[in-house]
Amino acid sequence: MQASRARLFKEYKEVQREKAVDPDIQLVCDESNIFKWTALVKGPSETPYEGGVFQLAFSVPEQYPLQPPQVRFLTKIFHPNVHFKTGEICLDILKNAWSPAWTLQSVCRAIIALMAHPEPDSPLNCDSGNLLRSGDVRGYQSMARMYTRLAAMSKKG
Amino acid sequence: MESEDDMHDANDVESLDDDFYSGGTDDAPLDYYSDYDDDADDYFEDADRIESRRPEQNFTILKESDIQQRQEEDITRVATVLSISRVLASILLRHYNWSVSRVHDAWFADEDRVRNAVGLLEKPIVQHDNTGELTCGICFENYPRARIEMASCGHPYCITCWEGYISTSINDGPGCLMLRCPDPSCGAAVGQDMINLLTSDEDRQKYTRYLLRSYIEDNKKSKWCPAPGCEYAVTFDAGSGGNYDVSCLCSYSFCWNCTEEAHRPVDCGTVAKWIMKNSAESENMNWILANSKPCPKCKRPIEKNQGCMHMTCTPPCKYEFCWLCLGVWSDHGERTGGFYACNRYETAKQEGVYDDTERRREMAKNSLERYTHYYERWASNQSSRQKALADLQQMQNVHIEKLSDIQCQPESQLKFITEAWLQIVECRRVLKWTYAYGFYLQEHEHAKKQFFEYLQGEAESGLERLHQCAEKELQPFLCADDPSREFNDFRTKLAGLTSVTRNYFENLVRALENGLCDVDSNGASLSRATSSKSAAGSSKGRSGRVKGTFRTSMSSRMNDDSHWCCEHCTYANVKSATTCQMCYQRR
Ligand SMILES: [Zn+2]
Ligand SMILES: [Zn+2]
Ligand SMILES: [Zn+2]
Ligand SMILES: [Zn+2]
Ligand SMILES: [Zn+2]
Ligand SMILES: [Zn+2]
Ligand SMILES: [Zn+2]
Repeated sequence: MQASRARLFKEYKEVQREKAVDPDIQLVCDESNIFKWTALVKGPSETPYEGGVFQLAFSVPEQYPLQPPQVRFLTKIFHPNVHFKTGEICLDILKNAWSPAWTLQSVCRAIIALMAHPEPDSPLNCDSGNLLRSGDVRGYQSMARMYTRLAAMSKKG
Repeated sequence: MESEDDMHDANDVESLDDDFYSGGTDDAPLDYYSDYDDDADDYFEDADRIESRRPEQNFTILKESDIQQRQEEDITRVATVLSISRVLASILLRHYNWSVSRVHDAWFADEDRVRNAVGLLEKPIVQHDNTGELTCGICFENYPRARIEMASCGHPYCITCWEGYISTSINDGPGCLMLRCPDPSCGAAVGQDMINLLTSDEDRQKYTRYLLRSYIEDNKKSKWCPAPGCEYAVTFDAGSGGNYDVSCLCSYSFCWNCTEEAHRPVDCGTVAKWIMKNSAESENMNWILANSKPCPKCKRPIEKNQGCMHMTCTPPCKYEFCWLCLGVWSDHGERTGGFYACNRYETAKQEGVYDDTERRREMAKNSLERYTHYYERWASNQSSRQKALADLQQMQNVHIEKLSDIQCQPESQLKFITEAWLQIVECRRVLKWTYAYGFYLQEHEHAKKQFFEYLQGEAESGLERLHQCAEKELQPFLCADDPSREFNDFRTKLAGLTSVTRNYFENLVRALENGLCDVDSNGASLSRATSSKSAAGSSKGRSGRVKGTFRTSMSSRMNDDSHWCCEHCTYANVKSATTCQMCYQRR
């Protein structure tokens, strides 16, 4: 408990310092609970998620960083490896490929990389996975773009 | 009926000369049997002459100390040949599933590639000067050099973080044997020297345990004995014939190939089908619906706790499979209709629930009766066997000593009783599996089926005879106050029955393993073999003997004057029938 709190506090300070360094990620710690974080990540350019801002919710276990944090999308996203309803993410580093050297920040980076490079072979969203697997890249992109516009872009823009 | 007669005949044998048996030669029971009853006589007599083709033992049982010793030897061998430390040799061997030759081949083919794949770096990735503090890559605190440890790569972590990292990995399972540096971009192996340095006694013991287990489990040539509580391992030398039966020092016999209980004369496929059948027929279908399924590769239960159908078994197995169909994940491409197909199948099944239940009920009605017949007999032999095993234990632990005192016989001379019980246990096992065999015998192979049932019936009654003798006829001698004069007669009889039954069952096993292939080819000649004696006596050749065995036993049934044997399909018809009841050919 003490170790995880100390580590999270380090990350908190690092995030404050690094804010300008990675303009695509904005990590925010819950004001009353250091084990709850949210992140806003920018959809990577040249992907159907470009222009969207996606919110992630982090729930950090007491055994962190020996155990991985739980992360899910709060923003609706049409992506083969994200559950369309729950926002659950199928990503190896959040499961058995976790290493305590990962940070919340680097997890965000890994998720951005996943947005740019979907893994249609381990789909949580079958429709999306099958579009890609059947070679219908356009179909996938237009669906993904539609949901990005609907859910991840500010209403004004 | 028959077995009563046999009992009578068996009793006659008691008048035989004692000395004859005390010689203890294997041939003795042969002559014994020629004075047995007429029916089974020729079958046994002939069968007896076939020398038992007992193949050389192709397996070795290993105790824990043997395993340790072999493991040490292999590690030393690799360390010596490659001129590397024992720690590195151990990591290499683990990666190549403890095959010394594979390690050698890979290493000398391309040392750099092996080093890369396994994580044995020659030079550190990060260099540190020995002064000043280093930042731990996990807790991000600064520490003096003495509080920092690193694998061969040089990535620095504080001792506390190492301890947590290693302990988590060890408690996650045998994957810890492949532990790497925590840095995600680094593959440097973490060897046993670091583990020993940075872990508690308890975790160190766990690690050593995993290492030992890995030597058996990851090695293609060895397995643990599957008997509950047994800690012996078996190494098997494949390529010496099709006999997979292995018997452990704990007295459990199992099939090397499928690790089910030894199941000769039935093949592994039939056993698997039968076991599936049993679990399908039993109402215990719930396990399918439960939240845990066995990993299709290593059989460890995998719990599904996330929505993703892409399952990955825990290390070191790491088998990736589909939760819905348990198929290997890499097959879930276009070829199989993809993931979507599994999903659709599930949905369709749910929608078609009604039809499905109806169809199943209909099918069940038809097949259940037949299945129940075989299952009940299979199961009752199974429980008889369990009972016999318990009796055997009781005999060894209690009765033998008591009997030795009462009858004033050294225990070494009472071995025939233990041997009888061991034989009973073995026969129950064989008999049990003959019911699975019978269940899968093709319905249309009438002659085979009929002949099979005849052999099985003989086996049942022969074993019953032995079981009776070992169980009931022993009792008076156990309750006596003084040595009984009849005890030697009892010895003669029981030893004789044991030997005869052993031979019968060995031949039965062989015949069934050959798929009763002699039945069809000799169908036509069966009816000509009117005299069982002459048929048995004249067959001298090895192959002829086996055939003669069947011919005579079949014909001995024909000889009872109430049956005639169809020339076309060999079916034994009742006297009154003028056309064969199986194939409808005229007599
Ligand atoms: Zn540390
Ligand atoms: Zn490293
Ligand atoms: Zn055993
Ligand atoms: Zn088998
Ligand atoms: Zn597995
Ligand atoms: Zn599937
Ligand atoms: Zn016929």
